[in-house]
Amino acid sequence: MIQDYIVFVGVNIVLAWSVYVILLAGSLSFANGGFMAIGAYVSGVLTVKFGFPLVIAALISGIAAGLIGVLAGFPALRTRGIYLMLVTVGIAVSVKAVIESIDYVGGIQGFGGMIGTTPWHVVGLVGLVGGGLALLSRSPLQRILDAVREDELSAASLGINPIYVKLTCFGVGAFLAAVAGSFYAHYLIHVSPDQFGIVLSVFIVLYAVLGGTNNMWGPPIGAAIMTLTPEFVRGLEAWRPTAFGVIILCLLLIRPDGLLAFRIATTRTKVVAGSKPKQST
Amino acid sequence: MLAEQIINGVVLGSMYALIAQGYTLVFGVLDKLNFAHGEIFMLGGFICVASIALGASLPIAILVTAIIAGLLGLVVEFIGFRKFQSPDAHLTAALSSFAIGLVIIDLSQKIWGAESVAVTLPGTLQTAAVSIGGLRIVMLRLAILVISLLLMLALYVVVTRSSLGRRIRAVAESPTKAALFGINVTRINQQVFFVASMMAGLAGLALALRTGYASSDVGFTFGLKALAIMAIGGMGDLRGALIGGLLIGVLEALAFHWGLGQLADVFVWLLMIVILLMRPSGLFGTLISKEVRA
Amino acid sequence: MDVYPQSILSVDGLSKSFRGLTALDQISLDVRRGEILGLMGPNGAGKSVFINVITGLYPADYGTVRFLGRDVSRLPSYALARLGIARTYQNIRLLRRMTVLENVLVAIKDHVNRPLRSLFIRNRSRFVRAATTLLEQFHLADKRDWLAGSLAYGEARRLEIARALAGKPSLLFLDEPAAGMNERETEELGDTIRASRKLLEAMVIVEHDVAMMRGLADRLVVMDAGHKIAEGKPGEVLAEPSVIEAYLGTDEADE
Repeated sequence: MIQDYIVFVGVNIVLAWSVYVILLAGSLSFANGGFMAIGAYVSGVLTVKFGFPLVIAALISGIAAGLIGVLAGFPALRTRGIYLMLVTVGIAVSVKAVIESIDYVGGIQGFGGMIGTTPWHVVGLVGLVGGGLALLSRSPLQRILDAVREDELSAASLGINPIYVKLTCFGVGAFLAAVAGSFYAHYLIHVSPDQFGIVLSVFIVLYAVLGGTNNMWGPPIGAAIMTLTPEFVRGLEAWRPTAFGVIILCLLLIRPDGLLAFRIATTRTKVVAGSKPKQST
Repeated sequence: MLAEQIINGVVLGSMYALIAQGYTLVFGVLDKLNFAHGEIFMLGGFICVASIALGASLPIAILVTAIIAGLLGLVVEFIGFRKFQSPDAHLTAALSSFAIGLVIIDLSQKIWGAESVAVTLPGTLQTAAVSIGGLRIVMLRLAILVISLLLMLALYVVVTRSSLGRRIRAVAESPTKAALFGINVTRINQQVFFVASMMAGLAGLALALRTGYASSDVGFTFGLKALAIMAIGGMGDLRGALIGGLLIGVLEALAFHWGLGQLADVFVWLLMIVILLMRPSGLFGTLISKEVRA
Repeated sequence: MDVYPQSILSVDGLSKSFRGLTALDQISLDVRRGEILGLMGPNGAGKSVFINVITGLYPADYGTVRFLGRDVSRLPSYALARLGIARTYQNIRLLRRMTVLENVLVAIKDHVNRPLRSLFIRNRSRFVRAATTLLEQFHLADKRDWLAGSLAYGEARRLEIARALAGKPSLLFLDEPAAGMNERETEELGDTIRASRKLLEAMVIVEHDVAMMRGLADRLVVMDAGHKIAEGKPGEVLAEPSVIEAYLGTDEADE
């Protein structure tokens, strides 16, 4: 039983981070459920029908998802964030529809036989991704991302190519979501398209947002809370969508800057004119 | 028959267009995407079912649906958009409207259950048909088509010829400048939301009447597709939404006729992605808003 | 095209229209090594459009721009920035939620050009030192840990200029740097600009403030309604009847 918790929470943590990485560059993606599906199916086909080892299959599916994300995202990222949002919705819907119509992977029934995920795989993944994000937050790259997120125009005036940055983040986010999806599928043994609808993508965004997007620790907290509380609070499972919806709305309304206002993740002291020095994490 | 399918496609397309114009109105004036719109469309069917079940006649049910949908639109505007008016807040507004949409679906599933609910109509209203030029046309569908087109025509006239329309276009052009001219931007936003949601609700009612069922997942199937249609036709352009809707409706009907129905969904979204690649502003120019806000 | 041998920027026949409205009509000018070129003209003359086109915000319809001999007409902003063309904005665009130091750091040359490699950069203290030195030159070093959004207007403008210089550009465009400043701030700005001269090959300043330009610019170009109407030394240009008429035709008050 505890194995289930570790795997599901871990997968959701990586999923939440996959959205976080995209948020870091100032974009919002409703496609990560679709990327997760790509990961599940591509890796599933590779292991079940071609005998690949799990980790290799997961990595390949990640790369596939990353490529698809970059190809589909490129036209949208050249223009405004709103277009990217639309394209990501389109990706999520299209992936599910395409999967449903391919008989090779079982169509609407889905397909099975995927085994091999142990809690260690998931823990390892969480550790790797977490480590990478921690490294990122202390590096100059974090500042570049902050600049692009805050003001693309002036970032460009400084020599930063905002499209390249946003595309890279989008590709990495797609990669992470797909790898998480691979491990997820190989734990559940069987997957079907209806598990990967647009609602899943929205939930993943909610995981990331619920815990706060100030720094890399918010999304895992949000993912953990949203995965575990329905298990422990009886009857909550039935009300999950409403509860999450209401909580998100409250969060959005209460924060003065709105949702995606990041405070910068450094451990230095910041001084605001006229006030006491603030420590920020 | 092919011709009948095309007509079916036009009817379908007129429903898409109603919904898409609602997205367009909100996008044009607030420059934001309202992801709760599809759920209000979904609710339209249920409100209709509930009204009829409570004994209302069809015309009354239509009126009730329109008004309740419009009022819901006001609620959505208040909760999901009032506080997020700055240009950077479009991600926040999208997310909050998605959250509202989720709540709407969940609540409606709690009230009416997760299965589709049948619409009971008096007599043969559902299937009465006429023959025009050898084609069998269901009266109900014809009525839906005519009423939808009339609604959209009325909207067009209001937006282009009335003083309200002028104020709407002013806000669409620039809310800050419009405010400087003394226009009550909040009031305009509310009115736009009311009208858009009313149209969505009526489209939902039309779908329920046409299929005989109100179902809770149409928001995500139909409703989102109308969003893609708006993007294809031109974000913020009413004509684009209309033409795009009709076009996609006919194409979908043809696809089903030729046995390709399964890929209809994918086709619309892929078409949207392709069009955004070539022309981010969609197929047509803008009737409501400027293409790009600073 | 008249290529003055000391030009680092040559603009030839630049034209741009927006939906039928001509914003730039065959503008030709050059920016010479070592000079401060003032770009003036009444509101709507096209000065901002000119800067925006040159710095890559949107492409021109016709015309060419050559920078240090290369044709850079169609390059996007970030590419131009990497080649050495920097700019500031009329409404100061700082990264308000980052510190003063971070604002400069993000712009330091080599810190920025390779995003993926910067994930693993060792020896960041080198960049911090370079940034701090630059801040000291602009008298902002004591505020290095302040949030950029909390600076006073004049300081914010100084920071924006400092940041633009962090990328070691050859050519700097200042878009109405004195906008919204009082006399004292304008004087300080003038000092800052003069002090920055030696860090650059050339500067182009778009400004309304005639007095400031008279004292600061080596040459002036005056635009009106998309055309270039005058060019030359400040004293001469500002005395030309067409220039005086262009200004008196608006409500712009001479300061």
